[in-house]
Amino acid sequence: MNYKKTLLSILFFFLFHNAAYSQLLKNFTSSFESNSAYYTDDSKTGDFNFDNRFRSNNYINLKSYLNKNWNFELQIESYQPSPLLNYSTNLKKTNISTFNVRYDNNNLNIQLGNFYEQFGSGMILRSWEDKDLGINNSIRGLNLKYRINNTINFTTLLGNQKKGFKYSKGYIIGFNSEFDFSEIIKNDSTFLFGLSYVGRSDNKNKSNLYDEITNLFSARLDYSSSSFYSSFELINKSKNPIILFGSISDTFIKKGTALLFNSGFFKNGLGIDFTFRRLENMSLYSERRAFGNPYNESIVNYLPSLTKQHDYSLTNLYVYAAQPNVSFQSKQLTKVGEIGMQTDIYYKIEKETLLGGKYGTNLAINASVWNNLDGNFDFNNQSYQTNLFGFGEKYFSELSLEIRKKWSSKFENIFLYANQFYSKRLIEETQGIVKSNILVVENTYKINDKKSIKVDLQHLSTDDDTKNWSALGLELNLSSAVSIYVTDMYNYQNPEIEKRIHYYNFGGSYRKGASRYSINYGRQRGGLVCTGGICRYVPESTGISFSAITSFF
Amino acid sequence: MKKIYITAFLFFLINTLFSQDVFPDIYLKTLSGKSINTNTTYNKNGLTVYSFWATWCVPCINELDDINSEIEKWNKVNVKIVAISTDDSRTKRRIRPLINGKKWDYFNILLDENHDLKRALNISGIPHTIVTKGKEIIFRKIGYKPGEENDLYEFILENSD
Repeated sequence: MNYKKTLLSILFFFLFHNAAYSQLLKNFTSSFESNSAYYTDDSKTGDFNFDNRFRSNNYINLKSYLNKNWNFELQIESYQPSPLLNYSTNLKKTNISTFNVRYDNNNLNIQLGNFYEQFGSGMILRSWEDKDLGINNSIRGLNLKYRINNTINFTTLLGNQKKGFKYSKGYIIGFNSEFDFSEIIKNDSTFLFGLSYVGRSDNKNKSNLYDEITNLFSARLDYSSSSFYSSFELINKSKNPIILFGSISDTFIKKGTALLFNSGFFKNGLGIDFTFRRLENMSLYSERRAFGNPYNESIVNYLPSLTKQHDYSLTNLYVYAAQPNVSFQSKQLTKVGEIGMQTDIYYKIEKETLLGGKYGTNLAINASVWNNLDGNFDFNNQSYQTNLFGFGEKYFSELSLEIRKKWSSKFENIFLYANQFYSKRLIEETQGIVKSNILVVENTYKINDKKSIKVDLQHLSTDDDTKNWSALGLELNLSSAVSIYVTDMYNYQNPEIEKRIHYYNFGGSYRKGASRYSINYGRQRGGLVCTGGICRYVPESTGISFSAITSFF
Repeated sequence: MKKIYITAFLFFLINTLFSQDVFPDIYLKTLSGKSINTNTTYNKNGLTVYSFWATWCVPCINELDDINSEIEKWNKVNVKIVAISTDDSRTKRRIRPLINGKKWDYFNILLDENHDLKRALNISGIPHTIVTKGKEIIFRKIGYKPGEENDLYEFILENSD
């Protein structure tokens, strides 16, 4: 308690100290976000079985730019009486969440306190904040960046990783270097080279069979010209014990690797992008025991699923979650990583052509396929050998076509068709596969400059799992400030008739300048919910929720 | 607990009276991956519109599409349009094919992959639009609905010299 009082006193002191120096206040910025819910019982989906029906997450962020070189940041978070469902139980009461002092001087940048960092694409290290997902894996310690010249820059860091309001016992150490050879090449193309190192020490779990510190090394190359680009990244992770059924194995100890290749081409309204990725035993947590935790806490590296990120509820029913880990559940269910690829094609059909019409037509095609690694898996002796470019059993594949068409200054359509294959057995480690076809039509009609109406109709057809779904959404923009909406999704063919439930939601929002307020009432579907390539299991819930976001400047 | 609420309240009071109005200097990346500081990317003699977007954000793309469809009108005013992508490594590879497919030829595209600028400006959600005069922030808004590009254009006309 004394600790808290001290912090509060510091805060008060800070505020009033600043109040006395109004020139400092001129350089203040802050934001506030609040998300609350009152959960109710539901005759269809069941009673609310947790404590505290009212739950609230609140975030206040304060930044002060003291002068050209120094700035300061503080974030206070409050979860009272308890956090929203699906947020970590390590988030309790009100506390200082992050604190940071930063010094910037042209080529030198030093941060002390909590900082966010990413090396390369984040496959070796990424610390970031995503309030919707409850992720804040910032590192508390020292971060130093030095830019020697336009060609070379370095970053070094050392610290403990945030886990709710707590911190990892072990430390993370990192080093990153980037070399930009574009000026040396002296033509229009860009050539970048990067080397990184990340070490994770976890002294809580020791053994003679592996080191306390796990080392990761990465090398990457990027090339870009005016209409072509290509990049390559390779990561090696040192020996580390596999986690099986929640315990750290003493005998099953393996290295990890990641390989990423990306290339693209674009010219005159046509853009093509191709990505190949192979992950083997690649996830890394600041504490070994945090492996596979449902809140995505203690994640050190970012391994998102590389599939199309959809906007519609039915396209997000069977979403692929990246499979970077070793999982030996049974002889029939052994996974050691993923291998696969994704292609995107964008094409604009010109205005004033047969298919382009008056405004032109936008096409977007996406195809992706992700498989288990191929190899010899010895379940009884807990060991495996993999083939570098072998494709094992399929996890997921998708082919989608999206057409955006503006018919007149008032009316616009989006058509989306997607064909998905989803191995529930392998991804969720349960049973079955799901082959589905999804069709979405979205219509937007602009009534005038301030008012518009948007209707979307969706259908998912499958003979597998819980069979067909339909969904619809209606959004009315009543003025530039106010909008209201209603959405519903309905599993109308569910073989269990009592599970044919309407997952409806309705609500509205008001916004003005840099503030937005919204209210929603409805049912949240349970299961795997994915945002931004990160997935987590959530229980079903029904309730009313409120949200307020505001930034001051 | 009360103290915290009082603190928060006082803080807001102070903040609404005095607050930051200078666009921060942050290192971002260009489309080809080169580092670039925001103190070199604004319109020194006029207005800059910063639009925070992502390849997966439909209203963000609508805003930029709507501006782009009347780009001739915008090009007549002394305004620079900077579209800051907040795509992370999951989706950033779609940026170049997408902007090429959409022919956003007059936007300056910068990448804020780990959200350093977004955080420095305390931006919670996108779309988020900021207008600066030199480096001074003179306008800020969350969200986008069809038609708002015209309000933004009017604001630019009123405030440009």
